[in-house]
Formats: sequence, C-alpha cells, structure tokens
Amino acid sequence: MKNAFIFFSAITLALLCYGTYQGLVVAPREETMGDAQRIFYYHVPSATAAYSLFFVNFVASIVYLWKRSARADAWAMAAAEVGIVFATATLTLGMIWARYAWGHWWAWDMRLTTFLILWLLYVSYLVLRRSSEAGSTYVMSAALAVVVFLDVPFNYMANRWFRTNHPQPVTLDDPRMKFALMTTMIAFLAFAALIVWFRYDIERAVQKVAATHIRKATRSVMASIAAPAVLFFQLPELEIHRQRTFMYGGYIAAWVIYLGYLLLLMMKRSNLKKEASELAR
Amino acid sequence: MSNAANSIAGLTWANVVKDVRLEWRSRDVFNSMLFFALLVVVIFSFAFDPTAEESREIVGGLIWVAFLFSTVTALNQSWARELRNGVLDAYRVSPAPAEALFFGKCIGNFIFVTVLECLMAPLFVVFYNLTFAGPAWQMVVILVLGTWALVINGTFFAVMSIRTRNRELMLPLLLLPISIPAIMSMVQSTRAVLNGTTPGGHIKLLAGYCVVFTTACYLLFETVLNAE
Amino acid sequence: MNVSKIYGRTAALRDVSLELESGRFYVLRGENGAGKSTLLRMVAGLSEPTQGEIRIFGLKTSEARSHLGYMAHAPLVYDEFSGMENLRFFARLYGISSDGPLAEAMRRVGLDPELTRRVGQYSQGMRQRLSLARSIFHSPDLLLLDEPFSNVDPESAAQISRLLATMRTSGATILLITHQLGLLAEIADEFLFLSAGELVSRDAAARVTV
Repeated sequence: MKNAFIFFSAITLALLCYGTYQGLVVAPREETMGDAQRIFYYHVPSATAAYSLFFVNFVASIVYLWKRSARADAWAMAAAEVGIVFATATLTLGMIWARYAWGHWWAWDMRLTTFLILWLLYVSYLVLRRSSEAGSTYVMSAALAVVVFLDVPFNYMANRWFRTNHPQPVTLDDPRMKFALMTTMIAFLAFAALIVWFRYDIERAVQKVAATHIRKATRSVMASIAAPAVLFFQLPELEIHRQRTFMYGGYIAAWVIYLGYLLLLMMKRSNLKKEASELAR
Repeated sequence: MSNAANSIAGLTWANVVKDVRLEWRSRDVFNSMLFFALLVVVIFSFAFDPTAEESREIVGGLIWVAFLFSTVTALNQSWARELRNGVLDAYRVSPAPAEALFFGKCIGNFIFVTVLECLMAPLFVVFYNLTFAGPAWQMVVILVLGTWALVINGTFFAVMSIRTRNRELMLPLLLLPISIPAIMSMVQSTRAVLNGTTPGGHIKLLAGYCVVFTTACYLLFETVLNAE
Repeated sequence: MNVSKIYGRTAALRDVSLELESGRFYVLRGENGAGKSTLLRMVAGLSEPTQGEIRIFGLKTSEARSHLGYMAHAPLVYDEFSGMENLRFFARLYGISSDGPLAEAMRRVGLDPELTRRVGQYSQGMRQRLSLARSIFHSPDLLLLDEPFSNVDPESAAQISRLLATMRTSGATILLITHQLGLLAEIADEFLFLSAGELVSRDAAARVTV
C-alpha cells in the first residue's frame, strides 16, 4: 500500500511538472489576453477537481448512510475538505484573472455566483462537522452532504437568469493549447486524488487514533509539490510584463493555497502522532 | 401499531394542533417573528427611499429578506419549545413515527409564517406604493411555494442544529446557502409579477425545489433526529 | 444486551453486558460520569450503541416502544399545557384516545385530573409526578427512570416510590438510576454498579448496606 502511494506520488509529480511546463511555456500565447490567459490551465482543472471531489463526497455520504461504515465517512470528509481547497484555488485564480481581464475582482455573473455558492455550501458542511456533538457528527454531516448536493442543480438553474460575461468555453483552436489543457487536467485530477488519499489516511487515523502509516506518505507529496515550483525559477524571459505578472501571480497563489493546506495536514499529522503515543502508554 | 398510514396523518395533525395551541398560549414564536419583520421593513425604509418605479425592482428582494429573517426566528423558537423541558425525548421514546413529528412541525411553522405574511404584505404594499402589473393571484402561488421551501429545509436544519454548539447560529448558517436558489426564484418571480412579465419559469423551479427537498428531508429526518 | 458506546474519542460505556429478568426492580448506581444515563438512554432507544445490541423482551428497541416508559430528571412535559392536556397529547402518540387511563394515572401519582393549572406553575414535585404519570398511563412492561427524585420534595418522592413498588408487584420491570437509596432500601431487588463505563458488580438487595 505504501509503495503504491509512493509510486502514485511520483507519477503525479511528473504529470504536474509536465502540465505546468506545457501551460507556461509550450502553449502559444493567446491573442487577446496574452500570457495572463495561461492562468486558465490551472483554473479550469482546479474547478474540475473540485466538482469531482464534491461528487465523491456525495457518493461517500450516501454509502455511509446506507452502511454506516467509518471508511465511507473518512472518504466523505477528505473529499469535502480537499474539494474546498481546490475550490478556493479556483476562485482565487478566477479573481486574479478577472482583475486582469475585466479590471475588477468580482462580477455577479452566472458561473462565478454558482461556484461561490457551491463553495459556501461545502464550507457549511465543514462547519457542521466541527460544531456538532460527538457521536452525531458522521450521521448528520452525511445527511447534510446529500441535501447540499441536491441543491447543486437548482443552484445552476437559478443562476442562469444572471447575464454572463464569463469567458465562454475558450475556443482552443490551437492543438497545443488543447494538449496543454489536457495535461494539466489529468495532472490536477491526479493531484486531487493524491491529496484526498493522504487526507483520507489522516482521517482514518483520526478515527482510530493510530498513527502508524501516516509518516511515509508525507515525503512523497512534498516532493511532488516542490518540483513544479522549481520550474518557475528556470523559465526564460523574465521580462516584467503586466500579463506575466498576473500569470505568475495566479500560479503562485494557487500553489500557496495547496502548500498551505499541506502544511496544515502536516501539523495535524504531528498532533495525531503525539496523541497516539500518549494513548499507547 | 395498526393502520400505520392512518396514524401518520392523524399524528401529524395532532402535532399541528398541539403547536398551534401552544403558540396561542404563549405567543413566543409570533412575537419574535413580528418584531423582526417590522424591524426589517422600517430599517429598509430608511436605507432606501424608493420611487414607485424603483421600488418595483427591489421590493421583491426586500419582502423575501424580511420573511427569511422571520422564518429563521420562528424555526428557532418552535424547536426551542420542544427542547425546553426535554419534551423531544418523550416523543422519541413513544411509538409515534418521526415523520409525523416532522410534518407536524413543518405545517405548524408554515401556518405561523403564513399568518405573518398576511399581516405584512399589506404593509409592504402601502409603504412602497406597490401596484401589481401582473395578475396578483400568481403572488399567492409564489408566497405559498416560497414559504414552504424555506420552512421545509429550515425545520430539517433546525433539528440538525439541536445537536451542535452554537445552536442558534447554525440554523441560518446551514439554511441560507441551500436556500439561495429558492430565494432567487422567489425574488425573480415576485419582480416579474410586479412588472407584468411572466414568472412561469421561476415558479416551476420553485415547485421543483419544493418537491425535491420535501422528499429528501422526509427521508433523512428520522436519521438525523436519532443521531446520538 | 451486550453493548458498547463510544462518543468520539471517549468510550462512555465499554462492553457492558447485561441480562435483566422481567418483573424485578433494578437500581443502577455509580459515580457521576460512570455511564449510567448513557446506558439507560440506550435501553430507551434514544441512543444507538456503537457496538452490540439491545433487546427488550426479544424485540429491538424500535419495536418495543409501546412497552416502555421513560422518565428523566427533566420533566418532559409542556409548561404551557395543563396536566391533562399534556397527557392527552402524549396518549395520542401511543394510540390512546380516551381520558380514562389518563385520569387513572394522574390519580395514582396523587394529582387531580381536573386541575387546569399550567404545568409551568407546578412545583418540581408535582412536575415529576406528572412525568411519572406520562410514563405509566399505557401500562408499560419496562419502566426506565433517570434520577426521578432529584429536586423533589420528600412527600412527592415517597409517593413516587410507593407507586413504583405497586407497579413492581403487578409485574413490571423497573430500571432506576438514583443517588438517594434510602427510599428504595425496601423495594429494590438488585443493585447494579457501573464505574468508568464498565459494569463492576451486581448485588441482590439484602447484601447492600445503605
């Protein structure tokens, strides 16, 4: 199991590097927005990852309500939390891009509003998890997850009445752009899966207060983050160009969010280890 | 344990009657609801100084914000009553099905909020010089569906919030994000009726919302009630 | 029943395994936090065990509800109704629609069925007696009581114990939690001791020094 995890981390790391490289360097500059458009290669996959994770949360919650299995609940929790991380990154990237493209950070148009509400819904899920009485948490949050997910289609339909100036599905004529998007998409989905796996392990440990298998996982994930970051410093033409500022700003903001979350997970892991050793006396 | 189907309807009714009688004796729910709603109307009238034209655009939103606050207050109060002497435990220990309690509460809350709306709506019409360019009966449909949408989810989340710290904060925190599509439909359809355009699509969305969430909450209520 | 109950990281009850015979009067004792209320709530069907199961007369708790009566130190009645009005509502939940058994139950606990005063104006002793009436009007076979005597005046307490003795004689099983043993020295059959979530001992009444 640990070997599978390390192997998967290695693949994810490779994909992320490759994807970032494609997005930052290989894909051609888009006419209207120039390099700032490259934010797209992180923004869209993050959004897809978030949506997928919320769906996983829905399924896991239903399984929990049906079978009352602690594993199902661990998946639900992990998926929701990591989903919020990706959703936050999506919103941040979107806002940075918006600032460049439209001049203002936010607009109440359909896509943004829908996504923001989705974010709010899952934050309310996390709040419920934290403030519910012990013993009732799993059941109640599973019930909430089901109801929340049922809201998603209504959310989408209700918001259609807003006008939208969200860039229409960007027509990617150039095959290199399509390729870049595809690679980052796969890379991010793998990345999401990896972090969820990690988070699931932590959640299981929280459930059992046993900290044996958490150590190994950390090193691999750290490595897969570090590599793309290194890539930034090797890019040619660091000429200060306004578009580039936004592009880098976007990418760096995304990584700050992901890294920040991983740091939190690390701290949680070390707290768990301390607790486990105390209980083992 | 005979005629289960009959019992649920009968027990639901018994619950509704009980809630209405309790309310009649103590008037907790009603007083706080009324206070909030009036407060909202008055404050908004200072915040906005609308002409008849403008008011048609915003009053749809204002009405529903006022009703939303009132509904949240009503929900908190009506469950608080069950918790006060631990009465909820007595209900759970009895053979009565949880669904009867749920629908009884929903219908009771629905009645209270509707009474409030009947009192408040004329006030809104007067304060904001509203005239209905579209058929006014559609407004009734919107009010009924919209109130039900808020009440059904609200009652469900109110039960959830019983088992949390910060009980009174949890209810709006859980209810508001989920109700956003319903609120949007209510506001848009109210605006449409005031302006004379057709609210058909919005009303359908609202109706769909009510059906889906009534079913979901009905199925999940017992689980949540007994989550201990 | 063989049950465990885990609350988050704490186990409120660990592997408590009990079998109770019908028609006997059991008193559950232990220091605060030993898990007595938790156990009682599980038997009442208010709380699900994390592991294990509870069977009452061979039935699951959810099926046995009409055979149970539950009383806690909270009165479990509405302040705004009178005694009879409260009972009428709860009777409806058990499928009883006539006033007969309700008036009977009230008289047995020493309350006047005609009293129209709201429960909010009752003394604590009266409230607990009404709560007892609420637990017995459907003639349950198993009666569960959690600290019924707390904050109750001595006269009401004596009345409650007399009624419990009568019920036991007519064949009901009683499981009661209390710290006030003086009242029950005569009537109890067996004492169960819980400590830190585990069942420590069971003693027949005669051997316990109060």
